[in-house]
Amino acid sequence: MFFFGYILPYAAAAVFVVGMVRRTWDWLSRPVPLPLTVSSVAGGRRARAAAVAKELVLFPSLYRGDRRLWLSAWLMHASLLVVLVGHTVGIAFAAQQFRYFGASKEASVWLSGAMGLLVGLVFTVALLTVLYRRAANVEVKRISGPDDYLALVLLLCVAASGLAMRYSAEVDLAEVRTYLAGLLVFRASPLPRAWLFLVHFAAVNALLLYFPFSKLVHLTGAFVGRSLLVQPPPVYPTPADGPTAAPLFSQGDRP
Amino acid sequence: MKSPMRLAKAEDVRAIGLAPAAEEERKPRLLAKLKELRGSMRSLAVMLDTCVKCGNCVRQCHSYLGTGDPLNAPPARADLMRKLYRRHFTLAGRLLGRITGAEDFDAQTLDAWLTYFYQCNECRRCAVFCPLGVDTAEVTIAGRHLLSELGMVPRFMQQVALNLQKTGNNMGIPKPALLDSVEFLQCEMLEETGLAVKIPVDQAGSEILYIPSSADFFTNVDTIIGVAKMFHALGASWTISSAVLEAANFGLLFNDSAMRAHNRRMRQAAEELGAELVLQGECGHGWRAARLCTEAASGPVRFRLMHVLDYTARNLGRLALRRLSMRVALHDPCNYARAGDLIDEPRRILRACVEELVELAPNREETFCCGGGSGILMDEMMEIRLKLGKKKAEQIQAAGRIDYLAAGCSICKAQLPHVAAHYGMPDLAIGGVMDLVGKAMDMNRSTGGV
Repeated sequence: MFFFGYILPYAAAAVFVVGMVRRTWDWLSRPVPLPLTVSSVAGGRRARAAAVAKELVLFPSLYRGDRRLWLSAWLMHASLLVVLVGHTVGIAFAAQQFRYFGASKEASVWLSGAMGLLVGLVFTVALLTVLYRRAANVEVKRISGPDDYLALVLLLCVAASGLAMRYSAEVDLAEVRTYLAGLLVFRASPLPRAWLFLVHFAAVNALLLYFPFSKLVHLTGAFVGRSLLVQPPPVYPTPADGPTAAPLFSQGDRP
Repeated sequence: MKSPMRLAKAEDVRAIGLAPAAEEERKPRLLAKLKELRGSMRSLAVMLDTCVKCGNCVRQCHSYLGTGDPLNAPPARADLMRKLYRRHFTLAGRLLGRITGAEDFDAQTLDAWLTYFYQCNECRRCAVFCPLGVDTAEVTIAGRHLLSELGMVPRFMQQVALNLQKTGNNMGIPKPALLDSVEFLQCEMLEETGLAVKIPVDQAGSEILYIPSSADFFTNVDTIIGVAKMFHALGASWTISSAVLEAANFGLLFNDSAMRAHNRRMRQAAEELGAELVLQGECGHGWRAARLCTEAASGPVRFRLMHVLDYTARNLGRLALRRLSMRVALHDPCNYARAGDLIDEPRRILRACVEELVELAPNREETFCCGGGSGILMDEMMEIRLKLGKKKAEQIQAAGRIDYLAAGCSICKAQLPHVAAHYGMPDLAIGGVMDLVGKAMDMNRSTGGV
C-alpha cells in the first residue's frame, strides 16, 4: 500500500508531465521546411491564435462533418474539463465554494455534489456514445485498433468509479482531501481505505501513465497540428531578414 | 488490391538522379529515411502521433467514397506508415507491438504504400475536416518521397521528371517546337482579332515572367490565348521562358529534390530575364509549390510572385469584358482552395465574363477533387481515376444544365473530360478560367497601359 499511496501517484504525475513536455518539445523542435498552409488567416499572430482557439474550443470541423460525432465529442471533452475544474475547486474548498456566491453551507455542498453528478453523467454518457460509435459504425470500427478502445475503457473506468463514489457511504471527502493535500506538499497523510476511492485513484494513475505513449497526446498535438494549417505563407520578394531553406533529407539536394 | 500503376525501371530511375535500392536494402533504407524525414518535418512528426481515429474524415474523402476501398480511408492510409513508425520509433510500439497499432515491415508493405499513397490525390480535404489538423497528404506525400528514395517511382512521374531535366517542361517541348506553337497561336489570334497579339519568348528585360502550363501549348491553347490577350489589352511587358515552360511541379508529389530543382528553374529564369514579377499560370499543385515552397527551395528571391488569376482579378476594371451568354459552373481546384488562397478571384473573374455563374456544392475550401490530383493521370490508372472522380461527377450532375465547366488547373483539365464522359456528360465543355477571359474580351475597346 505504501507504493500505491505514496510512490505511484508521484511516478504517474512525473511520467505524465515529463512525457507530455518531451513529446511536445519533440514536435516543436523539428523544422517546418515547407509550409502546409491550408488557408491563410488575415491579421497576424493574434488572428491565427484565435483561429486555432476557435477550432479547439468549439470543434467546428467536426460540426461540419458529422453533427452527432460533434455533439458527443464536444460534450466528452467539455465535461471532462468541467470535471477537472470541479475536482480542483471542490476538493480545495471542501465543497464550500458556492458560499462565496451567497449559498448556505448545506446548499453549497448539495450544489457541488449535484453539479459533479450531472457533469460526471454527461461525461460517462458521452464516452459510452463514442465507444458505441467506434464499435457499431463499420467505417469507424475498421480504422480502430486496440489502443483506440483502451483509451476509452480507461476513461470509462475513471468516470464510472468516480460516479460510484457518490453513492458510497464509505468514501469520506475530508479524508480524501487530507490525503491529496498531503501528496501536494510531500507530507504523508493516511491513504483512505474506501475501496471505490482506491479503484478511482488507481484508474487515474493508470491513465496518466498511459497518456504520453498514446493518441491522447493530442492534448497538445492538436495545437501543434492546427497551427501548421494556418501558418502565414512566405512573402515574396523574400525580406532581407527572411528565413533560410531547410532540406528535407540530410544529404541535401541532388542536381 | 495491387495497383495497376507501372513503375519506372531501375536505369530510368537512375537517369533522374535517384538510387534504386536492392531488395534486401529496402527495409533498412526505408527506416533510415523515415527517421530522417520525421526529424525534418514537424507536420509528419505530429501527424503520426496525434490522429485519434475519430473517423470524421472518412466520409469526406472522395477517394474512399469513390473506390469504396477501406484502405483509402485517410486514417487507414496514414496507418500504413504509422504502424511502421510505431513499431520502430516509439517505446510503446517496440514493447507492446500490435496492441498499439505497431507492425513491422513485411513483403506487402511497399506494395501497399505504392497502391494507396498513389490513390490519395493529395487534395487535403481531410485536413479541413480534422479537428486536430491532421493532413493525410503530408503523410502520403512523405510516403511517396520515401518510395522514390528506394527508387520506386511511377513510370509516369519518371517520364515527367526526365522531360523536366531535358526541357524544363512536363511535355518535353524543345525550344524550336515551342517557337512553332507560339507562331501558330499568334496567327490564330491575328485572324480572330485583327491585332498582333504576341506571346513573347525569352524576352530579356520583361517586367513579368509568365509561367504557363506546358499543356497550354497542346490541349489547353485557349488558356494561353486568354492570357496573351489580357496582357495585350493591359499593355503589359511580359514574356514566357523556354527554360521553364511549366507551372506544374511534379516533384512536390513524388520527390523533394525534383521539386526543388524545378523551383530553382523558375528563379533562374526570372533572374536571367530580369523579371520583377513572376506569374504562375493555371496549375493547382504548381501554385502550391511556387507559393509555399519557393522560399525553402530557392530562397531568398528578389521577385514578386502572383497567380495569374489573382493578377487578372486585380486588373478586371481595366479590361473591356462583355458577358458571354453562358451558364458556367466553377470547379475549385484543391490546391487553389486548400493551399493557394484563390477562392474569390476566379469567381470575380467569371462574374465579369459570363452571364450566369453556378456554384457546385460543396465548394470553396470543401471542394471535391477532380480525381486526377497529384498527377494520378496515368493511362493504366484510368479505371481507378474514374472512381476517384465519382464525387466530382455527382456534383457536376447536380448543377443541372451547364454550358461550360471552368477548372483553372491543367490536371483538372486533363482528368475531367474522362470523368464527364464516363458519368454521362460527354458533351460538357471543360476548360480554364482564362479561356473565358480571352473569349469575353473586346479587344478593340480594352486599352490599358500598366
